[in-house]
Amino acid sequence: MEPAKEFIIQKESIYSGALSCRGCGWTLLARYVSHVMGPNTVYVVPACCFSIIAGPSPMNLMKGTVVHTLFAAAAATATGVRHALDRQGKKDTWVVVLAGDGGTFDIGLQALSGAAARQENIIYICNNNAAYMNTGVQSSTGTPAGAKTATDPSGKKLPAKNLMGIIEAHHLPYYATASPAFLDDLILKLEKAKNSEGFRFLMIDGPCPPGHKHDPELSIELARLAVECNYFPLFESENGKLKITCLPPKKKPVSDYLKPQGRFIHLFNGTYANGIEEIQKQVDDNWQRLLKMEEITSSL
Amino acid sequence: MPESSTTEQSLTEDQVLPNNHTKKVMKGNIAAAVAAKLCRVSLVTAYPITPQTSIIEEITSMIDRGEFDATSVNMESEHSVFAALKGASLVGERVFTATSGQGLLYAHEVLHAIAHMRLPIVACNVGRPSFPWNIWADQTDSISQRDTGWIQFYCESSQEVLDTIIQSYKLAEKLQLPVMVVLDAFYLSHTSENVYLPDQSLADTFLPPAVRENNRVDTEQPRSFGGLVGPNMYDEYNRLYWEDINKVEKATNTIGREFSEIFGRTYGAVEAVNIHNNTKKILVTMATITTTARQVIDDYPDTGLLKIRLFKPFPKKSILEAMKPAGDGCTIITIDRNFTGDTEGALMQEMKRALFGKSVKISGVYAGLGGRDVSAGTIEKIINLDVNSPLTDEVTWIK
Repeated sequence: MEPAKEFIIQKESIYSGALSCRGCGWTLLARYVSHVMGPNTVYVVPACCFSIIAGPSPMNLMKGTVVHTLFAAAAATATGVRHALDRQGKKDTWVVVLAGDGGTFDIGLQALSGAAARQENIIYICNNNAAYMNTGVQSSTGTPAGAKTATDPSGKKLPAKNLMGIIEAHHLPYYATASPAFLDDLILKLEKAKNSEGFRFLMIDGPCPPGHKHDPELSIELARLAVECNYFPLFESENGKLKITCLPPKKKPVSDYLKPQGRFIHLFNGTYANGIEEIQKQVDDNWQRLLKMEEITSSL
Repeated sequence: MPESSTTEQSLTEDQVLPNNHTKKVMKGNIAAAVAAKLCRVSLVTAYPITPQTSIIEEITSMIDRGEFDATSVNMESEHSVFAALKGASLVGERVFTATSGQGLLYAHEVLHAIAHMRLPIVACNVGRPSFPWNIWADQTDSISQRDTGWIQFYCESSQEVLDTIIQSYKLAEKLQLPVMVVLDAFYLSHTSENVYLPDQSLADTFLPPAVRENNRVDTEQPRSFGGLVGPNMYDEYNRLYWEDINKVEKATNTIGREFSEIFGRTYGAVEAVNIHNNTKKILVTMATITTTARQVIDDYPDTGLLKIRLFKPFPKKSILEAMKPAGDGCTIITIDRNFTGDTEGALMQEMKRALFGKSVKISGVYAGLGGRDVSAGTIEKIINLDVNSPLTDEVTWIK
């Protein structure tokens, strides 16, 4: 069956049968990444949900090469793949890391920082579903304040690590956040990353119905709300110049995003009197910081 | 940094230079670096750790001077060093690194992955212990990696380091298994010795370019590597691995002979010295302690020496063959420069395994941990341990 003309992807670049949960952000992301990158790409995948989604050996969801690697070693393995391809003159083969937030914020951070500081010519994409979902929803340092997880059963007290701040400190040619609810923006950013050189980093909001505890059909709606509430702002940085790529026309309260999700439901039942206000303040402060960053870096 | 860390030396009258060789004086670490160049390694990842660092320094200097056509990447940890090698080897390049002690332990997880992805990587380990801080000769670091699936060679001299690395690539690429070449810290890594440096042409004759048809990233034929496997496939992968591990000992001896045809120096899985029908005791040694023992046994005609060069997989057949002339009545004394928290050292454990069912007496000593000197006097003490009573299955800690 021919896809409708308005569909962005007219010819699928991944196979059917992805082993993801319903409403998972990973498979959507894989479709668009694969669509933009094309088949001449080596994907490096550390332990994460995508290790499973990409298929057990010898199956392969991607119509490209997939190198599965160790949890802490995504950026380092990609470094080796990149240099070996370069030795063989295959400069036109892209090397793309597809990692989760645990493998990016936590156990893989050292390798990520090393590769970023060396300006390895690779694209690192983090699908941030904000917890260790593959092992059953344990907190990562990407888990936001208030979210209930298996290891923070009363809700996480501290906010998520500002990973984009750490990324910013590596002087990268290109880094951005993106959302599966804003596909034109996502594709544009993937293309910009593809057409840059050096270490490029993309953080994608990752809906996760079983982990975030919402109905699968709400995935995209929640991802959209995350942007509209400034909870997951969309921005990019090209050669140090930061630009907010989506200014929500009318800012929505953060409770609009939190309320439909089971992981935050305790914030609304009275036991966390100031929980929502605190999260709202964190979100507002982050947004103010981002606006200032845009202003400061505009003259660079 | 000096222009070159090797110096040429003129030959004395009684020394004959092998064909197509130059005589040099080299530290073990420099020999390792030069060997990587002779093997036309194309990618080296590095992270500093004493006493390995001069290997990667020499390699990066040679690359910097344009003498060595390879890519060198300064990684941020040994975990990443080995992970990057894993990626590069999977793309088909011949890769190398060197590490020591804590570095090797830190890379432990990746060592397993490399072995079980069947990647023919060769790495040097300059053996040192972990804690309390100590940087001197000790084999606990590499011995504790014996279950990762890597082949392990222990070297006695700078010459052997150089020659073993060349042979290791041949072995690794033949069987698609990784090889660890172990040097003793300082006694070998930083001791200058005479070395016959082979010409590049000899290395090229012996070791053809790295060409891998299978188990390699080929973007023309996209595949996945290292994905999840179920119980049956996991078991089958390991069975195939085991089949190839069973070939290592024979291949080591074959490659050692092939090597001698081109380079004029012979190597095997083990080396027997003074083992004959009147041998009453056999000292079993690894690495540089062997050199000291060689001198000492000159004064003990009934004492033989068995040097274990291939430690993993343990070369049972070669050992039995080497001990055959001595018959069953002799006493075996193993010298372990490693402590893995057991009542007996790793070499003693492995020798017992190799000699299972044989009527020999076997005892062991721990000696030289953390670089403690194992002098000629220490070796004599070990030989004379049983002056008052015959040793059987006893372990002595030698100071």
